[in-house]
Amino acid sequence: MNDPVDVLIIGAGASAAAFAWSMADTRMRILCLEQGDWVNASDYPATRRDWELRADADFSPDPNVRRRREDYPVNDEHSPISVLNFNGVGGGTILYAAHFPRLHPSDFRVRSLDGVADDWPISYSTLEPWYAINDHHMGVAGLAGDPAYPPHQPPLPPVPLGRLGETMARGFNRLGWHWWPSEIAIATREHEGRAPCINLGTCKVGCAQGAKGTVDITYWPLALRAGVKLKTRCRVREILVDDNDMAAGVVYYDSEGREQVQRAEVVVLACNGIGTPRLLLNSTSARFPHGLANRSGLVGKNLMMHPWAAVRGVFDAPLESQFGPQAVCILSQQFYETDPARGFVRGYNLQVTRGFGPVTTARTGHLRGDIPWGAGHHEAFARHFGRTIGVGVCCEDLPEECNTVTLDPTLTDSDGIPAPRITYRLADNSQRMIRHGLERAREALRAAGAVEILENPVPMRATGWHQLGTARMGTDPERSVVNEWGRSHDVRNLFIVDGSVFVTSGGVNPTPTIQAVALHVADTMKQRLANLFD
Amino acid sequence: MNPPPPAPDADAILSPVPRETLRAVLAMLVPPSPDRRMPGTADMPQLLRHVENVAAGLPAVRDGLAAIDHEAMSRYGTAFAALDHAARSDLLDEFAARQPAVLQRLGLEAVTCYYQQDDVIERLGLEARPPYPVGYQVPAGDLTLLDPVIARGKIYRDAS
Repeated sequence: MNDPVDVLIIGAGASAAAFAWSMADTRMRILCLEQGDWVNASDYPATRRDWELRADADFSPDPNVRRRREDYPVNDEHSPISVLNFNGVGGGTILYAAHFPRLHPSDFRVRSLDGVADDWPISYSTLEPWYAINDHHMGVAGLAGDPAYPPHQPPLPPVPLGRLGETMARGFNRLGWHWWPSEIAIATREHEGRAPCINLGTCKVGCAQGAKGTVDITYWPLALRAGVKLKTRCRVREILVDDNDMAAGVVYYDSEGREQVQRAEVVVLACNGIGTPRLLLNSTSARFPHGLANRSGLVGKNLMMHPWAAVRGVFDAPLESQFGPQAVCILSQQFYETDPARGFVRGYNLQVTRGFGPVTTARTGHLRGDIPWGAGHHEAFARHFGRTIGVGVCCEDLPEECNTVTLDPTLTDSDGIPAPRITYRLADNSQRMIRHGLERAREALRAAGAVEILENPVPMRATGWHQLGTARMGTDPERSVVNEWGRSHDVRNLFIVDGSVFVTSGGVNPTPTIQAVALHVADTMKQRLANLFD
Repeated sequence: MNPPPPAPDADAILSPVPRETLRAVLAMLVPPSPDRRMPGTADMPQLLRHVENVAAGLPAVRDGLAAIDHEAMSRYGTAFAALDHAARSDLLDEFAARQPAVLQRLGLEAVTCYYQQDDVIERLGLEARPPYPVGYQVPAGDLTLLDPVIARGKIYRDAS
């Protein structure tokens, strides 16, 4: 029998780590259960010559490709976008590109400003102090003064633009459009014991240098030193609930596959926008026959994934675009805020991305036909390698109840726990936004001097990193799953701190907001410890 | 969910005829560059072994190689490997139009292996090493390019 704990956190990714660090100063008994393991930095592909290939194998972001023991399968046949994640200490931060833009003030007020979806019950100003603290811990590089945001000071200098960034900056300037060096959780100089970035260009298969802000090397060491316990290879099957509608603990399978029970005073879900609704829906009981904390019926609904489309420009001049942090080096938010004349509400950002290594250049070129086999192969390869720039269109995804996470009737993980099924479609508004964004991306590349534009399928399938909205936050128990500080309306000692609680998605990468929300929830809990369950 | 691609049998090998066909096909897929700066795949025994293993483990590719050779025999009365460059090229173009998957897979394996060869990497002007621990230099860039962006001023909407 495991000793009961005060706070049990499920999942050890971005939100869990920030939350655990914040709660550690309460000196409560805090335990985190993670289904995956620690990643050893020496295992990262950047240490080997075949590093590019491992993005399609054991370091693939797609759990259905990666198929590690700790991964759970996801049925995404009914979605044009596949789900990407990583299961282990660090969660998605292990493989993310570390692009770290905040939401904007308007992102929290979409109903008031634009008449769509719902306002958040919190605002940019609520999260502003937590963004700043989080930027410090994650080690965010950037440049103060971005006219697309309220003033704030990133703690580290920006990542290098390189020839690629300068080329696109000149293109945006020719068009009179906004651009700015992206905020990225990459240490551009030594920071809190982390070595500075050396431009490996391997961010999306893990950072062997330790410069990228992954929570296994940022928050977790601090939380563990402060007394938080973390058990790996422990996969939670269900959350237990008592007759008073209070969470009593969880049932999980340990590293040997043995069923275990862990009792807790407070249960905190940090399993991302897919894993959290999956666990809640798997936690049925007489009092919650449709899943725990689901009296609103909204658990698993309103899934948002940020539809992504991209084009790639080919340039005559060598750009060495394959080197440098893979995350966006510069960002245009020219089309971020709503303009009704565009034919859609809300907006998108244009993300300028690096080129590919030689193997990926050759493989994608071969499959697309841009780099043919035969006599023209070498000329085509030389024309593409190190000379391409990508411009991605990251669209705000508005919540729709028809976009769901449910339980697959047959698919299970290796412990026999029902796996999630994703049902998702692109809204008309999103499709109009993508078309507009792609045309602007082509325009920007041409203005920068691209001699050829390479197209991609729309939306690009393997882009479902951002899983949001499936246990939304709100003040109305009939229209939301948790309240404005992450507490379940139905189960007063159950909290959610991951991207599930997003009311709307904004149009930027969500990790800094996910972590800021987690810090906000932790801080609110600490202030209310005496009457946490009232 | 997409099913995983079939895994080749690592120990499989081809018999002599399809091996020669494969060698001839690979020579056509990635030939030396016209200026001879870049080598062709036919000159790389390690690459040939790798692709042979893949081909031997995949019935569709084995059958494809046999079909290419059969086509050469029926059209020219000789094995594919014995054809001249022009005849090989014509035959492969037609085969690729009929059965694109075979040459696509062989080409994918070939370029994947080719662009990991030290000789190839060095001829591209790069160092033949993993990215870590040395890394790379990237110029910081000219941040005065931001001046017009700053001059235009705030573009976000206030919302409390």
